[in-house]
Amino acid sequence: MSFLDPLLLATLPLVALPIIIHLINQRRFQTVRWGAMMFLLAANRLSRGYARLRQWLIMAFRMLAIAALIFAIARPLASGWLGLTAGGRADTTIVLFDRSPSMQERGAGAAGSKLETGRQNLARALRTLGSARWVLIESTSHRPHELESPDSLLNSPETEPAGNSADIPAMLQAAHDYIQANKTGRTEIWICSDIRENDWNAESGRWQTLRDSFLEFPQGVRFHLLAYPQVAAGNMAIRVTDVRRQVTSDGAELLVSLKLTREGNGDSRISLPVQFEIDGARSEQTIEMDGAEYELKDHRIPLERSHERGWGRVSIPADSNLADNVFLFVFDKPVPRLTIVVVDDAQDARPLELAAAISPDPGVPCAAEVVAADQLGPVEWERVSLLLWQAPLPQGDSARLVQSYVERGGQVIFFPPRSPGNADFLGVQWESWTESAGRESAEGNEAAGIPVETWRGDQDLLAHTQSGAALPVGQLQVRRYLGLTGEFTALASLRGGKPLLARATTSRGGAYFCATTPAPRDSSLATNGVVLYVVVQRALAAGAAVLGNTRQLVAGDPLDSDPATWQRIVGPADALSTEYAFHSGVYTAGERLLAVNRPVDEDQAKVLPDHRVQELFRGLDFARVDDQAGSIGSLIREIWRLFLASMIIALIVEAGLCLPKLGRPPSGTAKPFQPAGP
Amino acid sequence: MFPDRRSRSFLDPGVLSRLAGVPFFARLPMMGAVSGRHPSPHRGSSVEFAEYRKYVPGDDLRRLDWRAYGRTDRHYVKEFEADTNLRCCLVVDTSGSMEFGSSGITKIDFARKIAGALGYLALLQGDAVGLSCVANGIVRTVPPRRNPAHLTTVFDMLEQTKPQNETGLAPVLHELAETIRQRALIIIISDFFVEPETLRSCFQHLRFRKHDVAAFHLLDKQELEFNFRRPMRFLDMEGGPAVFAEPNEIAERYLKVLGEYLEQLKKVVLESAVDYHRVTLDEDYERVLMRFLVGRTRSQGGPR
Repeated sequence: MSFLDPLLLATLPLVALPIIIHLINQRRFQTVRWGAMMFLLAANRLSRGYARLRQWLIMAFRMLAIAALIFAIARPLASGWLGLTAGGRADTTIVLFDRSPSMQERGAGAAGSKLETGRQNLARALRTLGSARWVLIESTSHRPHELESPDSLLNSPETEPAGNSADIPAMLQAAHDYIQANKTGRTEIWICSDIRENDWNAESGRWQTLRDSFLEFPQGVRFHLLAYPQVAAGNMAIRVTDVRRQVTSDGAELLVSLKLTREGNGDSRISLPVQFEIDGARSEQTIEMDGAEYELKDHRIPLERSHERGWGRVSIPADSNLADNVFLFVFDKPVPRLTIVVVDDAQDARPLELAAAISPDPGVPCAAEVVAADQLGPVEWERVSLLLWQAPLPQGDSARLVQSYVERGGQVIFFPPRSPGNADFLGVQWESWTESAGRESAEGNEAAGIPVETWRGDQDLLAHTQSGAALPVGQLQVRRYLGLTGEFTALASLRGGKPLLARATTSRGGAYFCATTPAPRDSSLATNGVVLYVVVQRALAAGAAVLGNTRQLVAGDPLDSDPATWQRIVGPADALSTEYAFHSGVYTAGERLLAVNRPVDEDQAKVLPDHRVQELFRGLDFARVDDQAGSIGSLIREIWRLFLASMIIALIVEAGLCLPKLGRPPSGTAKPFQPAGP
Repeated sequence: MFPDRRSRSFLDPGVLSRLAGVPFFARLPMMGAVSGRHPSPHRGSSVEFAEYRKYVPGDDLRRLDWRAYGRTDRHYVKEFEADTNLRCCLVVDTSGSMEFGSSGITKIDFARKIAGALGYLALLQGDAVGLSCVANGIVRTVPPRRNPAHLTTVFDMLEQTKPQNETGLAPVLHELAETIRQRALIIIISDFFVEPETLRSCFQHLRFRKHDVAAFHLLDKQELEFNFRRPMRFLDMEGGPAVFAEPNEIAERYLKVLGEYLEQLKKVVLESAVDYHRVTLDEDYERVLMRFLVGRTRSQGGPR
């Protein structure tokens, strides 16, 4: 329970008033010399049981009446989750608002989504509580916006649904920075979220830092979590996994692969109509879904031969979450994939050239050009999808060229040169060659290699295949490798912990370092070519994706153009143009066609367990309440009437107990007594 | 009648003269030394005929009824009632609680008035008067005498007695029952703050010794009503521990205990045939004594 005027609770010691009056009254006693002590002593012995209990009850009810009066004038709030606030109105109230697609889920039979319910409940609660300043930090921009009043939450476009996942640690960091910059007084932070794991990043190391830094604030920061952890059973989500346009004998067709996921265990079999819309033309296919997931591979949609570029939409009927029922995509004819191979020795280039030039799909032309490190000038970088570099790391102009290529989204993989220099690229530097210390093999001509011990199978270049099978990275044998120093993320490590494949930190594009070459004397990358081919082709595909005139974007990801210049084709009409990158939709940016969709994590995001949430706020002043989407009850309301009623009841009971007993025994006053006869 | 001519605070000549008009009778036959106004168990020579009895050798021939002999030719002795005086023993409780009184008069003052008046009345009609002041034992005592000068001694003792010490009425009454010679009128003036059951044996002991027992039970109005308002500290007048009490809390139970006590005492005195008079201190002692004397006049001639 909390109070709007908690300072009045300081008068609570007045509850002891009846006891004090009782004690004073007892001290004001009169002394009398008394003869009939035998009756007094006998009466005193009788004063146990109900009579004594009655006295205590009278005292208790008097105290209760005073306590109820004090509580009533302190304006109590019926919430139970705010905890006792100390010091009255907060100086600053910061609202962290989760706008992620999962917040658009509705409860069973409820009219409002979690986002709408949370927004209304927050506005109502904050209006009641009052504060000197209101600040909103929402999950797209993480920028603090000052609000005029809590009611602004209801009509601000910054609290409308968005398409990106929330980053709660980043929002808390923004709140922390705001408190630090503005030197606020007593601050309350309200978090409205559905506590999905992908939004909260509970494993992130930032939480510890945040906890420590919030604890350092001397003014005290209170955290309130308005949580909507319920998951709507049976919610369906649709996602397009691949879109390809290919030319056929009688025109062209679009191959759309999609994936449907269902919340819950999916025991029942359902029939689901999936609607496809290509540039406004609709078609429908009914699928039978049995289980939690369903994948539709290469669904063919005929196109005009001249229809080379466009956008489309797949959708399923409305369910509890409208945000994951639609997925947008754009398509274009494939872009030729050009790879530039930079090598010292042309012999070494052969495996890399082959891996880059052999197309996995006949419809996607691939080409590879071998150039020397000093002949980079004539290269048309805007056509290059992938750069394979097996030479000393670039320096000077070459380095600037490669860096600008990476920054526009290009992919580069560095292989070790014969003689590593001192140059570094993106903070990563080659060390020196290390040979395997293994004994000679039975043939005597080949040293046994160092096996790969660990690799990241969940993402990036060495991720598992779509069917879930792992790449044969463990079968690779590395005989010689070049060590790496600097700041990087290892994607695969050799036995002993040395990195085999590492990724440098970049804001866009990708810069990878492979610690060995495909040459047979160095490794089995070429002879066991699957891994090399997959790595090169994946990097090539990622590099080509930024070159085409169409792009699939994930809401909230970093952009290379200003969303304010985009034109909306499909998308929320009331979204701010500066926030287009956070709203699912199809947009044009100059010549390019962009489709923005929710992140993949939003489709089946798990709810963070309660104990994990508690751990995240360990040591901080934290209170949580679980609400439900569509709940119409106010989070908090004033309940002083209840306390006044309690006071009245207590006074009535006290009066009843004080009333003298009705059947009072005769006082024994001088009743004439007839003397006994002799 | 007052040999020393001193005025006593507890004696009002007007009251005494009015009371002197009412005879003071014993309810039971008394065995006095001289003739008086009270019935005797023996036949005597008064004017009141009692019975005829056959003559037996040894009887006084002067008491032979010759007329009866003439009519019946048999010897009869005519007997008359004997009137005698009595010994009146006044027992005044002088325990500490007798000093209590809320209406300007204490119990001991009231007791002095009753004892003084009764002593005077008894002596006036030729009865012997004695006094015992008792507390947790017999404090002072003078045996019954019918000498008018003896009254001075009794009055002095009444005047000088001071209430103190605890009440030890039961052993004292047992002792008096044994020490007072048979057939006396014993008047106990006390607040009787002892258990009624212990009084029962005392009264029965006195009755067994053929004493006529009368009791004046003195109670104060405040003791009966217990109408205190503020918290009170009650100091025991007999030296016991003090009791702190909130009257609101305890009054109900006090009155209940008092009611039970009075009920029980009433039962005891009825069963023991004690001439019991409950007196509140705000009553007029003349009316009390008048009620006492008239009551005894009515009951005269009971079983002998």
